[in-house]
Amino acid sequence: MYYFLQLTLSGLTQGAIYGLIALSMTVIYRATTIVNFGHGDFVMAGAFVVYVLVVYLGLPYVPAAVLAVVILFGLGVAISRGFIDPIKAGPHIGFAMMSISLGYVLRGGARTLWGREVFPMPRVFDADPIFIGELVVTGDVLFICAIVAILLTIFFLIFYRTTIGTLIQAVYQSERGATLIGVNVQAFHQSMWGVGLAMGAMGGILIAPISLLHPDLGATFLIRGFAAMTLGGFGSLGGAVVGGLLLGVAEQNLGFFVNTALIDITAYLVIVAVLFIRPAGLFGKTVTVRM
Amino acid sequence: MTRWRRIYYLIPVVALVIPYFANEYLLWVVNAILVYTLVTVGFNLIIGNLGQLAFANTAFFGIGSYTTAILMVYFGVPYVLAIVASAVVGGIAGFLASVAALRGIRLYYLAIITLAFGELMRWVYLHGDKVTDGSDGLLLPKASFFWIPLDSEAPKFYVFLLLTVLVVKATSNLMRSKIGRAIVAIRDNEYSTASLGIHTARYIVLAFVWSGAVVGIAGAMFAVLTERVLPESFGLTEVIIHFGMVLVGGTGSIVGSVLGAIALTALPEYFRQFPGMDELFFGIVIVLVLLFLPKGLVSLLHRISPVFQERYYRD
Repeated sequence: MYYFLQLTLSGLTQGAIYGLIALSMTVIYRATTIVNFGHGDFVMAGAFVVYVLVVYLGLPYVPAAVLAVVILFGLGVAISRGFIDPIKAGPHIGFAMMSISLGYVLRGGARTLWGREVFPMPRVFDADPIFIGELVVTGDVLFICAIVAILLTIFFLIFYRTTIGTLIQAVYQSERGATLIGVNVQAFHQSMWGVGLAMGAMGGILIAPISLLHPDLGATFLIRGFAAMTLGGFGSLGGAVVGGLLLGVAEQNLGFFVNTALIDITAYLVIVAVLFIRPAGLFGKTVTVRM
Repeated sequence: MTRWRRIYYLIPVVALVIPYFANEYLLWVVNAILVYTLVTVGFNLIIGNLGQLAFANTAFFGIGSYTTAILMVYFGVPYVLAIVASAVVGGIAGFLASVAALRGIRLYYLAIITLAFGELMRWVYLHGDKVTDGSDGLLLPKASFFWIPLDSEAPKFYVFLLLTVLVVKATSNLMRSKIGRAIVAIRDNEYSTASLGIHTARYIVLAFVWSGAVVGIAGAMFAVLTERVLPESFGLTEVIIHFGMVLVGGTGSIVGSVLGAIALTALPEYFRQFPGMDELFFGIVIVLVLLFLPKGLVSLLHRISPVFQERYYRD
């Protein structure tokens, strides 16, 4: 029982990050119907930008993180404007390839600049661990969970309680209808790419201090993000978060109680199982087409 | 007009002289191009002709490679039979992938589940170390094709060229038959194809099985080319390279597949000496092709003369 609780706690921490990343992918997917296959590399890019700002320019962590999020937002807008809009008329395969290759460029760029090294990110939050009964709660866990909780609260408040959020929901429901009431859908797509990348970058910024930073960081998060999205229901915002948390908990517990090798493939097993048994996931609407 | 297209037959004939002036390394690159030609032809059948976003290609490729390696290492099976076995097992893997598509898992769902399939297979290679030797990889014994020992690059080149020409020709014939027309029709509109009395499920399965078999053969060639089969050769990055070849060459076109394989095998080979540069170059090339040449390199050929237009090639 003690192990289960401790593992669940660390699973929730990992899962919070997965949920945040899955949510950021869902934001882009819902807004533009494009799945960003390069999302993992943008997560990596966010972490690398913070690393550069902290280590090379000597900025403190918090301003560096804010600046990195702003930079990634700009990158998202630029990508939507410069690379997605021109191929809008083409087939879906083009979008998939475009997002993959943009991620590839980032990964190649990171590798060219920093070689194949692995960097320890400077620690941010060196608080003493707290003991609850037998449970050990480290500063990192508290920090990550708190930040993710705050971010999610802000996100869902904006989405469901403000005018901007209502407009976003309107465009999600019907782009044509939104255009008729005067929403600039193109600008909306661009800003949603920005929001998506910025939120993904936050995930990278949060995970980097407790794991190592390397150019291949993105691939693991991409698959975890997909698994979380699939589990929660593809396109469901709340589902992505819940899916991420469940995936993190499942990973840690399967890895400990069954076999450590399972940690790497829990995400894949979840994807295959969910799509075969209940393609709509936990909270999604059924969208499969049967011939 | 169309008989001018027979000009393509000249390409393998001219290629026969390559071993007389190429050194071992260059010949290795040419052999890799032949392997990737088949990989791309098989992949293009699914992506371009059937129009399904299925990324199980690395799974087929790896399964083909490991089938050949396991048969040759543990059972001493001759290479020719191992190739046939790889094609069969690749075809079975293709059938498994098609089951997902038939269950109504399409578009991004299909992309994600097939990506998961590829990564699960890589996990199996890594953790089935009693058979696959895990991350050390399986070292192949010296292979021979009938009586030709494949101990240097030149004999490998002739064998690979023969296999590639046979498989590409067979695929090209398939695509120009009733089956190929049905596959392209399914891409354009699955419902109206079904309403014409074409059993769409049957052709979807067939396309996947054929693709799996072609890529399985490519895997068998790859095993002999590299002489050591490693799990790392079949990762997520690999499927991106395959996808890039399809796209740069031209989706849905067999000639395009060949062009894409040539362009994206030869050029990154030069950049491989600088870490990261190959990825950077690769990504930039694909982005440029998507923006400025969306129909791929093959559309340049079409611009020269309509002779090169393939009958069932549309964007």
